[in-house]
Amino acid sequence: MTIHDVIVLIGLSLFLGWVTRKGQRKNLLLLGSSLVFYWLQPSLPLRYLSFWLPTATFFLVILSWVCTSSYQQRWERETIQTAGFMTLIILMVGLTRYLGLGNLFATLYPPRLLRVVVFLLVTLGVIAILLRKETFSNAALWGLFSFFLLLFVILKTPYFAQMASRMWRYVVDQAPGLARAEDIKWLGFSYLTFRILHTIRDRIKGRLSESSLKEYLIYTLFFPAISAGPIDRIGHFLRELPEDQRSFEKDIIQGGRRLVIGLFKKFVVADTLSMIALGPENVSQIQSTGGAWILLYAFTLQIFFDFSGYTDMAIGLARFMNISLPENFNKPYRRQNLTQFWNNWHMTLTKWIRSYFFYPLTRALRSKGTFSVFGVLLITQISTMMLIGLWHGVSLGFVIWGLWHGIGLLVQNRWSTFFKSRLSKLELPSKLDPWLGGVGTFLTFHYVALGWVWFVTPHLSQGWEVMMWLLGVVS
Amino acid sequence: MTDNLISTLEDFITTEFLKQPDRELKPDQALISSGLINSLSLVDLALFVEDTYGVQIDDTELNAETFDTLAELASLIKSRNQE
Repeated sequence: MTIHDVIVLIGLSLFLGWVTRKGQRKNLLLLGSSLVFYWLQPSLPLRYLSFWLPTATFFLVILSWVCTSSYQQRWERETIQTAGFMTLIILMVGLTRYLGLGNLFATLYPPRLLRVVVFLLVTLGVIAILLRKETFSNAALWGLFSFFLLLFVILKTPYFAQMASRMWRYVVDQAPGLARAEDIKWLGFSYLTFRILHTIRDRIKGRLSESSLKEYLIYTLFFPAISAGPIDRIGHFLRELPEDQRSFEKDIIQGGRRLVIGLFKKFVVADTLSMIALGPENVSQIQSTGGAWILLYAFTLQIFFDFSGYTDMAIGLARFMNISLPENFNKPYRRQNLTQFWNNWHMTLTKWIRSYFFYPLTRALRSKGTFSVFGVLLITQISTMMLIGLWHGVSLGFVIWGLWHGIGLLVQNRWSTFFKSRLSKLELPSKLDPWLGGVGTFLTFHYVALGWVWFVTPHLSQGWEVMMWLLGVVS
Repeated sequence: MTDNLISTLEDFITTEFLKQPDRELKPDQALISSGLINSLSLVDLALFVEDTYGVQIDDTELNAETFDTLAELASLIKSRNQE
């Protein structure tokens, strides 16, 4: 996201924050988020796809709502109104092809209107059929869950993404030989998937908060959190939606403060650090161990300021609209062990993975009682962290990064369990605590920093080369 | 009733997780947010509560927002038992 994009989003958030206090809150939030989805969608070399991807996003969200909502909720009048509202938005954006609004949605270039109309008729037909179904079985819901996972894997795996690009090129009559894995950039899909999967799983467990189609759309598409999270839970988000009497001035001050912090972190600190941060392009320029550490420290700080800066901006923009988003970072580099680091880094993602993967897997393994504590930890910690790695992209570097943290968590867990009771018996003087804490923070920071080497270098050989420099093995 | 509940939960945590049976935990002492019990222990605690009191705790509830102290966990168990 560029500073230009952020300025437009600030203006929009302030406008929505002001106007939604006068009424039509949900309609305006939905309109704003939908248009931002089209506007922020990156320009793609694949014909018409920049228009179809946000359009498909809306369809998938509506489909998920239909499958997870109650029959009674589905047939409320507001559902038809919202579906009509979304149809109108899609049609209006489709019409920009003819209206000479090229600059507004410069990257979209929608297809001919007839195609848009045919798509709408087909999708509305599918939704109308599904609406009649009284209830969806757990098997059908798991099917939908798997469909989203499959789509996610296709987009995140370079081989499949390239294949998908080739297929699209066949469809729209473009040269298939030019297909690349980077051709398909689907705005917000990663975070959208997590929100949708959470609702499907909670519906299966009978724990999903009831929401109208409009509320579900706003929850999944809410524009401040499109590209970098945080991943809110629907129950919490719905509590933030109703209009209340909170003053706009107060929200401007609170949100503005957070926004300025975010802008400073991202565009001043992170972007400055990025000039010397470790990256695939400067690995070959490393000439000394000290130089390698400077690059690594710069990247370690850059990724934090960049990511947490985006979170601050998202929280600030949402605050303008009287919505409180969850925190995503809480001084992670100052934590005294790796478990604490992961409890405070990208918190909404780790909480999601813990709730929907780590805990169910641990519960299943512990209930059976066939695995030792070590065995359970080995399986769950490593698979969880590898999953988090793969979420960033299907590549060997991300797998190793996940493995690095999985092993780190396992070792730290066993270490602290082993020493917990022994240390307490020693009754060390309490003035040693800050020193022990400092050592813990130092070790944790450096373990995390070394892990970033695998995260940032796309090729294993490059990662290995950097590691050798850092450890002083190459000279 | 609540005191018994807290005492049973306290014994389980100090013996099984902290390996310090003599240690005392205050009813309002933070267990999860302070890092006193880790995520594996949290699952074991949920299984213990489910087996002992017949109360279901969902995986999405295993966090400090749902319960962070012995008193909060005891109150959760009591409220679910009454449902």
